[in-house]
Amino acid sequence: MTSRRSLALASVAAVVAVAIAVAISFWIHWFPAQATTQAQNTDRLYHVLVLASIPIFVLVVTVILYSVWQFRMKPGEELKDGPPIHGNTRLEVFWTAIPTVLLLGIVGYSFVVLRNNEKKPAREIQIGVTAQQFAWTYQYPPSVTGGAPLNSTQLYVPKGESVEFSLRSKDVIHAFWIPAFRVQEDVVPGITTHWRATPIRLGSYPVVCNLLCGLGHSLMRSTVHVVTPAQFHAWITSQQSAAASGAGGLSTTGAATG
Amino acid sequence: MEAASISHAAVHDGHDHHGPPAANRSSRVEPELLGMLLFIISEIMVFGAFFTAYFFIRIAQGNPWPAPGTSLPVQVAGVNTAILISSSFTIHWAQTSIKNGNRFGLKAGMLTTFLLGCSFLFIQINEYANIGFAPQDAAQQTIFYSLTGLHGAHVFIGLLLLLFVTIRAFRGHYTPEEHRGVEVPGIYWHFVDIMWIIVYTTVYVL
Amino acid sequence: MAAKLRAPGFYRAGIMMLGGVALATGLTWLVRMTTGHATYSHYLSGDAILSVSLLAVPLAFLIGIGGFDYWFYWAAGRPTRPEDHSGHGAYSWKDYFRVNTDHKVIGVQYTVSSFFFLLVGGLIAMLMRAQLAQPGSHFVDANTFNGLFSVHASLLIFLFIIPVFAGLANFVLPLMIGAPDMAFPRLNALSFWLLPVAGALMLGSFFAPGGAFADGWTAYAPLSDNAPIGQTFFSVAVQFAGASSIMTALNFLVTIITMRAPGMSFFRMPLLVWANFATSLLVVIATPFIAASQFFVLLDRALGFNFFNAAHGGDVLMYQHVFWFYSHPAVYIMMLPGFGIISEIIAVKARKPIFGYRMMAFSLLAIVALGFTVWAHHMFTSGMAAWIRIPMAITTAIIAVPTGIKIFSWLATLWRGVLHLDTPMLFALGFLTTFTLGGISGVMLAMVPFDIHVSATYFIVAHIHYVLFGGSLMTIFAGVYYWFPKMTGRMYDERLGKWHFWATFIFVNLTFGPMHILGLQGMPRRVSTYAAKFTDLNLFISLASFGLGLSTLVFFYNIVTSWRGGPRAIPNPWRGMTLEWQVSSPPPIFNFDRVPTVVGGPYEYGVPGAVHGIFAPAPAPAAAGAAASVVRAPSQ
Ligand code: HEA
Ligand code: HEA
Ligand code: CUA
Ligand SMILES: [Cu+2]
Repeated sequence: MTSRRSLALASVAAVVAVAIAVAISFWIHWFPAQATTQAQNTDRLYHVLVLASIPIFVLVVTVILYSVWQFRMKPGEELKDGPPIHGNTRLEVFWTAIPTVLLLGIVGYSFVVLRNNEKKPAREIQIGVTAQQFAWTYQYPPSVTGGAPLNSTQLYVPKGESVEFSLRSKDVIHAFWIPAFRVQEDVVPGITTHWRATPIRLGSYPVVCNLLCGLGHSLMRSTVHVVTPAQFHAWITSQQSAAASGAGGLSTTGAATG
Repeated sequence: MEAASISHAAVHDGHDHHGPPAANRSSRVEPELLGMLLFIISEIMVFGAFFTAYFFIRIAQGNPWPAPGTSLPVQVAGVNTAILISSSFTIHWAQTSIKNGNRFGLKAGMLTTFLLGCSFLFIQINEYANIGFAPQDAAQQTIFYSLTGLHGAHVFIGLLLLLFVTIRAFRGHYTPEEHRGVEVPGIYWHFVDIMWIIVYTTVYVL
Repeated sequence: MAAKLRAPGFYRAGIMMLGGVALATGLTWLVRMTTGHATYSHYLSGDAILSVSLLAVPLAFLIGIGGFDYWFYWAAGRPTRPEDHSGHGAYSWKDYFRVNTDHKVIGVQYTVSSFFFLLVGGLIAMLMRAQLAQPGSHFVDANTFNGLFSVHASLLIFLFIIPVFAGLANFVLPLMIGAPDMAFPRLNALSFWLLPVAGALMLGSFFAPGGAFADGWTAYAPLSDNAPIGQTFFSVAVQFAGASSIMTALNFLVTIITMRAPGMSFFRMPLLVWANFATSLLVVIATPFIAASQFFVLLDRALGFNFFNAAHGGDVLMYQHVFWFYSHPAVYIMMLPGFGIISEIIAVKARKPIFGYRMMAFSLLAIVALGFTVWAHHMFTSGMAAWIRIPMAITTAIIAVPTGIKIFSWLATLWRGVLHLDTPMLFALGFLTTFTLGGISGVMLAMVPFDIHVSATYFIVAHIHYVLFGGSLMTIFAGVYYWFPKMTGRMYDERLGKWHFWATFIFVNLTFGPMHILGLQGMPRRVSTYAAKFTDLNLFISLASFGLGLSTLVFFYNIVTSWRGGPRAIPNPWRGMTLEWQVSSPPPIFNFDRVPTVVGGPYEYGVPGAVHGIFAPAPAPAAAGAAASVVRAPSQ
C-alpha cells in the first residue's frame, strides 16, 4: 500500500473512531439524577470536556497504531535506522500553541459555569448544616421557618428556590456532598463554609460525607428531600409542633395544634 | 568497542582494588560546596514551611500577636542576636587564618565561635524557662516555640559541626591548601545566623 | 563473636536497636518524672516510649549497620582512612546486604527492595478489592479497611514509585554521563538504608495498638492529630523516606553538575539525565514541606501543640497547603523520571533521534516551575478563599502544554522510524496511551465546577491509577526490561515479557476505566461499603483487579528466573548510543577504566558515522592496574 493511501485510510479510521466515541459518550449514563440548575450547567461542561478530549486521545492513539502498522521493523531491517529528523520548529510551535488556546478556552468556559453556579440570586433561603462524627444535623433559621429556629436531622428543601447551606463542623473535617446537586464543599472545624444550589426536580437524593472523617465515614449518610414549597412549609410547621410538644409545649401555636 | 569491554571484564573479575579513574571535573564548583548550597536550599524550605504556618496563624487567622497576656523579651533576644552575629565574624577569622597558615588563629577562632554559639543556645533555653507561657497554650505560642525551636535545633546541629571542626583543628588537621573542612561547615553556620535574623525580625520585632 | 558485634552489620544493628529501646524507655521515664507526672505509675507510658522508640530504634539500626561509621571517624578527628574502596562492588549476593558504596550495587538494592514494596502494596490492593467486591463489611471492618488503603498508597508512593526511579537512575545515570560513581558514595549508601527503615515502620503500624494509620496517605489534620498511635508510624516513616529522597536528589544534582565526562555538555546529556536533574530540583525544594507537615502533626500529637487545634487559634487548612505544596510536585517526582526512561527507549527502539531534543529538556524545566504553582487544585472544595481557585485552575490547565509537547515529540519520533516492538517498546507505547488518558482526566479535574462534583470520588481514584499505574508504573516496567541486561548481565524472556504487557495493558483499563463512571455516579473514595446500585461495577472492577495482580506475577516470575538462568547479555543488545551501552554487561567495577570523551548528541540514530562517546585505546595490559587513573581520552 502506498503511504498516501494508508495515511488516508488512517485518517478515515480516526474520524470514524471519533464519531463512535462521541456517540458512546452520549449513550453512557454518566451522571445520577440532575436535580439542580447547577447540575445542568456542570453536566454540560462535562460533555464539552469529553467532546474536546476525544479528538486529542484519538489523535494520540491513531498515530501510535499507524506507526506500529506502517513503521514496525520488517524482517531484514534489523540493522536499519530511521531518517535522522531532529525537529521541526513549525510543528513544535503548532503543538504548543493549539493546546494552549484550547486549554485557555475551556478554563474560561469553566469559569463562566463557576460564576453562574455560585451567583447569589435575589431570593435565597439559608439552611445550616452541622457535621460531627458521624451524623448530619440541619438548622432552619427563623427567616426560613417564619418562627422559632428549627433543628432537625432531616433535610427538606423547596423546589425552585435557591438554597445556601452554611457548613460547620464540631470535630474533624467532613464534606457535604449531594451528588444529585453536583456540589460539595468541605466542612472545616473553626470556619464556616458555604455552597448554594437551586433544586429543580422533586425527589429524595443521598447526602454523602465525602471526606475521610474516621471509622464511620462510609456510613455518614443522610437524605435530601426536594419538595414543593407548600409541602416544605407544611413540613416545617409539623416539625416545629413536634419540637414544641417534645419541649413541653412552650410555644403557643404548638400547644394549640398539639 | 567490543574489545574494550573484554579488557574491562578482565579487570572486573580480578579482585585487586585499583582505584577508580579520577572523575572528570565538569564544573568549577567544588562538589562539597555545591552539596552544601543545595542542602541549604532544602533547609530554607523547611523554614519556609514553618513560616507558612506562622503566616496562617498570625495573618490568615488574624490572631493577635503576641498572644494576649504574654510578652516577648525583645531586648534579651536582641542581645542574643548580637552574640550570634559576632560568631559569624569569628568563624570568618578562623577561615582566613588557616588560609594564611595561622594555626593559632584557626584554633582560637573556632573555639570562640563554638563558645559564642553555646551561649546563644544557653540564653535561648533560659528564655524558654522564664517566658511565662507554653506551646500548649494557643496557636501563637505554638508557632513561637516552633520557629525558635526549629532554629535552636539548627544551632545545635551547627554547633556539632563546629565541635568536630574544632577537634580536628586542635588535632592538627587543615592546611593553607586543604581547608574545605572549615569552609563548608562555615557556610552552614552563616546560614544559621542569617536565618536567625529573619526569625528574630518576624517573631520578635514585627 | 565479639569482633562480629563490633563490625558494622546486622548483629551490631540488633544490639544497637535493643539499646535504642532502652534509651527511649529511660528518656521518657526521666522526662515524665521531671515534668509533673506525680505518681510513679505515670512515669512509664507505653505510648510515649513507643513514640520515642520510633525515632531511636531506626537511628540505632542505621548506626549499627554502619551507615555513619566513616563520619564518626571524621567527627572524632581521627585520621580518615584514604578511600580504599573496600565498600565498593558486589562479589556475592551477600554484598547486597551490607552498606555498599557502589552506585550499581545501590541501584540494584533500591530497585529490588522497591519491588518488594510493590508486591506488598499490590497485595494490600487485592485485599481492598476483595472487600469492595460486595457492599457491607463481609471481609474486613472499617478500621482495617481505612488502614489498608492508607498503607497501600503510602507504600506505593513513598517506597515504590519514588525510590524505584531513584534506584534505576542510580544505576544508569553515572554510567550515562561517564562518571565512575556518584559524587557522594557514602551518602548514597545511607539514603538507601533509610528506605527499609521507612518501610518497616509503615508495615509495622499494622501491629500498633489501634491498628495501622488509617487517615489516607494525605493524613489530613485534625483527624490525624487525634488518631491512634499508628499515625505516628506514618509521620516518622515519612521523615525517613523524605530524608532519603533529599539525599539522593542532592547527590544526583552534584553528580550531574560536576562529574560529566569531557565533552558532555548539558545539551549532549541523554534525556534521562535531564529528567533526573529536573526531578531532583523538585525533590530538594519540595520535600521539606512534607517533612514539616508531619513535624506539625507529631508536635500536636506528642506534645499537645496547637497547629491544627481550631479551638486554640490553629489553622486546619494550613495543613493542606503545606502538604500539597509538597505532594503536588511529588506527582511530578513520580512522573518526570519516567518521561526520561521513555525518551531513552523510544529513541533506541524507533532508531531515530528524539524529535525536538531541546524542547524535551525545556519542557521538563517548565513542568518543574509550573509544578510549584498548582498545589491548591487539590483544595478546590476545601473551603479555602474562593479566589485562589482561579489562578490555580489556570496554571493547572497550562501544565498540560509542556506535557503535551513531550507526548507529541515522542509521537513524532515514532514517525517513519524502524520500530522494534519488543517488551520495553510495548510498555512505552502502552504508557503513551494510558498516560494520555490519565492526563486528560487530570485536565478535566482542573475545571473547577466539574471538580466540585467529582473531588474525592472514584473519578479521582481512576485518575490516580491512570497516571500512577498507566503512567509511572508502565515506564518503570519499560525501564526494568530495558536495562535488565545491563543490570544483571542476563536477558529476560521476551515471550513472557509480551504476555506481561498485554495482560497489564488490558487489565489496567478494565480495572481503572470503570472507576470514572463510579465516581461520576456518586461513589465516594475511601469507603469500605457503598450503596447497592454500585455493586455490579465494583464486582467487575474487583475481578479485573485480580487479573491485574496475576499479570504482575508474570513479571516477577520472568525477572527471577531470567536473573538466575537467563542467557548471558552482550554489552549492547539494543545498539544504543548512550555511554552505559558501551561497557560490559554488567559494567566493570569502576564503570570506565578510561574516562570516555563525548563528541556528539546521545540519539544520533540514522546519522551516518555519528558517535556519542569515544574511548581512548586500551592501556597496555601490564599497566592496567596502576595507570587507570592516568590514562585520559584525548580532549577534543
Ligand atoms: C504521576 C502522578 C500524577 C500526574 C502526572 C498527574 C497529572 C495531573 N493531574 Fe493529578 N493527581 C495525582 C497524580 C498525578 N496527577 C494523584 C495521586 C492525585 C490524588 C491525590 C489524592 O487526593 O490522594 C491527583 C489529583 C489531581 C487533582 C485533584 C482532584 C481532587 O482531589 O479533587 C487534580 C485537579 O486539578 C489533578 C490534575 C492533574 C493535571 C492537570 C495533571 C497534568 O499534569 C496532566 C498533563 C497531561 C496531559 C494533559 C496528557 C498529555 C497531553 C496532551 C496529549 C496534550 C493535549 C492535551 C490537552 C489539550 C488536554 N490531579
Ligand atoms: C503507584 C501507586 C499505586 C499503584 C501501583 C496502585 C495499584 C493498585 N491500586 Fe491503588 N492507590 C494509590 C496508588 C497506587 N495504587 C493511591 C495514591 C491511592 C489513594 C489512597 C488514599 O485514598 O489515601 C490508591 C487507592 C486505591 C483504591 C481506592 C481506595 C479507596 O479510596 O477506598 C483502590 C480501590 O480499588 C485501589 C486499587 C488498586 C489496585 C487494584 C492496584 C493494582 O494495580 C495492584 C496490582 C499489583 C499487585 C496485585 C501486586 C502483585 C501481585 C501479587 C502480590 C499477587 C497477588 C495476586 C492475587 C491475589 C490475584 N487503589
Ligand atoms: Cu464525615 Cu466522612
Ligand atoms: Cu496535583
